[in-house]
Amino acid sequence: MTATGVVRHRPLRRTSRWLWAYYWLLLALLFLPIGLLALFAVNANTTLSFPLRGLTLDWFGRVLSTPALLRSAGNSLAVAAGSSIVATLLGTGVAILFVRFRFPGRWLLLGLSVLPLIVPFVVLAGALLVLFRAFDVDRSLLTVGIAHVMIGLPFVVLIMLARLVGFEPQVEEAAMDLGATYPTALRLVVLPAIAPAMVAAGLTAFTVSFDEFALALFLVGREPTFPVYLFGQLRFTTTLPVMIAMAVVLMAATLGLLLFAERVRRIR
Amino acid sequence: MGDSRSRPGMRLPVGLVLVALVVGACAGAGASSPPVESAPPSAAGATAPTTPSPSEVPPDQVTGELTVLDWAGYDDPLYWQDFKDAYPNANVGFEFGGSDGDIYGKMKAGDQADVFHPYTGWIQFYVDEGIAQEIDTSKLKNWDKVPEDFKKVGQFNGKQYCVPFDWGFTSVLYNTEKVTTPIDSWAALMDPAYRGHISMWDDGPGAVTVSSYIHGYDETNISPEQLATIKQEWIDQAKLNKAYWVGEPDLVSMFQSGDATVAYSWQGAYATLLGAGVPVAYADPKEGRNSWVGVYCIRKDTENLDLALKFIDEKLGEKTGNNLVSNFYYGHANQDVMNGITDETLRKAFSIDDPTILQKTNFTPNLTADQRDAWTAMWNEVKASQ
Amino acid sequence: MAASEAVARKPPRGRRPSDGVVGARRGTFWALLLPVVAFLAVFLVLPLVMMAALSTRADLRGPLLEPWAPTLKHYVSLAETPSYLRLLLTSAGIAVLVAALTTLLAYPLAYFLALRAGSRAALLLILLLVPFWTSYLLRVMAWKLMLGEEGVINSILMGTGLVDQPLSALLYNRFSVTVTLVYVWIPFAALPIMAALQRVDPAVLDAASDLYASPRQQFRHVTLPLSMPGVIGAFFLVFIPTVGEYVTPLMVGGTSGTMYGNVIQDFFTKAANWPFGSMLSVVMLVATIAVAILALRAVDIRRFVEP
Repeated sequence: MTATGVVRHRPLRRTSRWLWAYYWLLLALLFLPIGLLALFAVNANTTLSFPLRGLTLDWFGRVLSTPALLRSAGNSLAVAAGSSIVATLLGTGVAILFVRFRFPGRWLLLGLSVLPLIVPFVVLAGALLVLFRAFDVDRSLLTVGIAHVMIGLPFVVLIMLARLVGFEPQVEEAAMDLGATYPTALRLVVLPAIAPAMVAAGLTAFTVSFDEFALALFLVGREPTFPVYLFGQLRFTTTLPVMIAMAVVLMAATLGLLLFAERVRRIR
Repeated sequence: MGDSRSRPGMRLPVGLVLVALVVGACAGAGASSPPVESAPPSAAGATAPTTPSPSEVPPDQVTGELTVLDWAGYDDPLYWQDFKDAYPNANVGFEFGGSDGDIYGKMKAGDQADVFHPYTGWIQFYVDEGIAQEIDTSKLKNWDKVPEDFKKVGQFNGKQYCVPFDWGFTSVLYNTEKVTTPIDSWAALMDPAYRGHISMWDDGPGAVTVSSYIHGYDETNISPEQLATIKQEWIDQAKLNKAYWVGEPDLVSMFQSGDATVAYSWQGAYATLLGAGVPVAYADPKEGRNSWVGVYCIRKDTENLDLALKFIDEKLGEKTGNNLVSNFYYGHANQDVMNGITDETLRKAFSIDDPTILQKTNFTPNLTADQRDAWTAMWNEVKASQ
Repeated sequence: MAASEAVARKPPRGRRPSDGVVGARRGTFWALLLPVVAFLAVFLVLPLVMMAALSTRADLRGPLLEPWAPTLKHYVSLAETPSYLRLLLTSAGIAVLVAALTTLLAYPLAYFLALRAGSRAALLLILLLVPFWTSYLLRVMAWKLMLGEEGVINSILMGTGLVDQPLSALLYNRFSVTVTLVYVWIPFAALPIMAALQRVDPAVLDAASDLYASPRQQFRHVTLPLSMPGVIGAFFLVFIPTVGEYVTPLMVGGTSGTMYGNVIQDFFTKAANWPFGSMLSVVMLVATIAVAILALRAVDIRRFVEP
């Protein structure tokens, strides 16, 4: 008997239907502004307002011809992917440590891991800026990445903790009784079971990093991330539609990738 | 969620993240050199500090790496077009700041940018703290195209520390359909008749400026009692204010959505709204309009002095100026550029055909550090008191 | 490692899961602990200490890293400015409300994804997160378009005659800040709850229904208690950062929706008064940590976390 198995409820048709409806309602609400943005990305208006004035694909053309904009999107992707992977590894480690080991400072470790949530980003940014300068480290995507690991960590820890609490250690111990080392036991027993939660945690860290700009604003060097670039552009009314077009492109690319991957999964 | 052996559902997101990492790495790394067409990536680090005078090195052989701390948008080659054309083999990289306070904080924290772009009200701090260095204007071929008033903006103790680049007006913008009597005073921003439809810029020194125009205070010499009056005035005004705007698109969309009908505004928003068909007027208050100027300064211990001087010089060039005016609706420091504007909307926005406007305009004065701290603190208290 | 050695190394008394650090697990322990501790020490603790120190600097003049004479004048100034403390309290209140609403609204979502969505759960979860990969600033701008006085919603309401005056209360106030924050946090709050619900053992539920427990009773006595760590995690996940939130109030709060985080942000970026901003942050940090610890004690967090 383990706590890692499939959950097979007696199908409760009525509640299931309400729950599906709830999900779709929420999804629709979340995508509503995106739909509006997509509308304006093909609209000849230079400002976000009705009435609409004719269709145009000019803005997308401008996106492709603005290398700085494309670069910033690529930078965001790289930073988000890198920092979320590191945050997931570190955060899962913290959760395992907390749940499986007793040591002095256990609660302190947990508190520190979650602390970045409380610290206002601008404070963390300022402090990191001074820190890097004191050690003569130039601002760059790496410094942003480090800050993003920091802010992704609490999400990972809280999610993994929720997953691991009460996860009975009997199977690991059985594995060790049979001669496995602890790392092997972890790898073969725990990791597969918590993998879905790890992926969810990693995705959360990715999401948190991708659109983050308070920290990035302070810590980018010559290469900005997309939110930083966008935030600066908001000063000027004339470039807004190009920004919207870029955001729509990112959205479409992500969705496209998602659906493609899902199709690939189905084929297997 | 599947058994422990195979989790097909999970390969999907993992794959996504890995793809993102690869794509991002390629995009980021592959395009990490700045957008200069035929420039070979020159070695980091500059030419020696003691360069022979610019005329000795032919322009297309000028190389080097310049780093500019600027506001986002200015990194577009359109806004340093003249430099790009004149020195095709020099590289320019940009760092970004989000506000004057941000730029100041970064330079104080030791940012290594060679050139930076503050605005009036903040320029003197760089001089006081020894962050900006004196500029030898004899090396700037475009210098005599800059009007005297603008030159003074970057002068301290008789020395030229910064070079003006962009400028604009501040005045009261109002919707002529909803506001039937023309507005002629800054006091309109505090008028209960426009309750719930006023929008003020989110800036302490800006608020102090407006109050001093209304009451006739000397902006450079605000006493604590006057500051207390000003603070209370803005706390009261907040009840009439719909929302503070941070950037011009906020302001423009508030006018378009009908949430604002009277606002503190730069002429960029005015021109944009006119172009979008919204019936607005740009007031000519009896206390006079305000004007602000953006300048470029050179960091004190930069190793790229020669390149920095060239960059600033070319910023005053005509192509750059024309791009600035027609894309951002900001004024340019080169008088020839301003005189050459033909677009009617822009001529109206800059009041080019009315030379008396400039005479009645109050330029933003220099602040002392004490004033900056006191006025921004005052504004934060106003916002916190709601 | 021979089986006999493994047996010999087992703790002699019972099989308590996390008995000490000895034996086979020591290597893993340090391998997991050291990187995290090093990372946190250098990139979190050190900067925070520097910030706390900076709050004792009189102002930002002079070279930044030069030693200075510490002063408490900013703290004194805070005590003399009741509006900041009031704002902190208000912000905390908004944060509690947002966290509570979000957790409540996120629970059915988490339940759905963990227990009803089956093999599609991963895809559905990602779909929820995809909007967050668009710029938040742009999304909020789009919402403002809908909620403004001449926006889409008001146009519809006026057009159908439901109201004579446009509703100006939809935007630019505390209500809109609260609604926006809840809307934004729901998918994130669902995640810890979802993770906790994955622990629900079907065998226990089967046993419960064999004992004639109705679905509602199953939920109340089995599922809900098991998901509590996730619920608590979700609540604090939302509460803690919301106290210092500044982007949403900036965009939709209008004049009356300012929150404490806006003031901190402004002292750093507009006023270039890092010392005062640091002081405000220290106060907020200490207060939030204190409240969190007290709240967790009251809820007796150990009950949920200790096996």
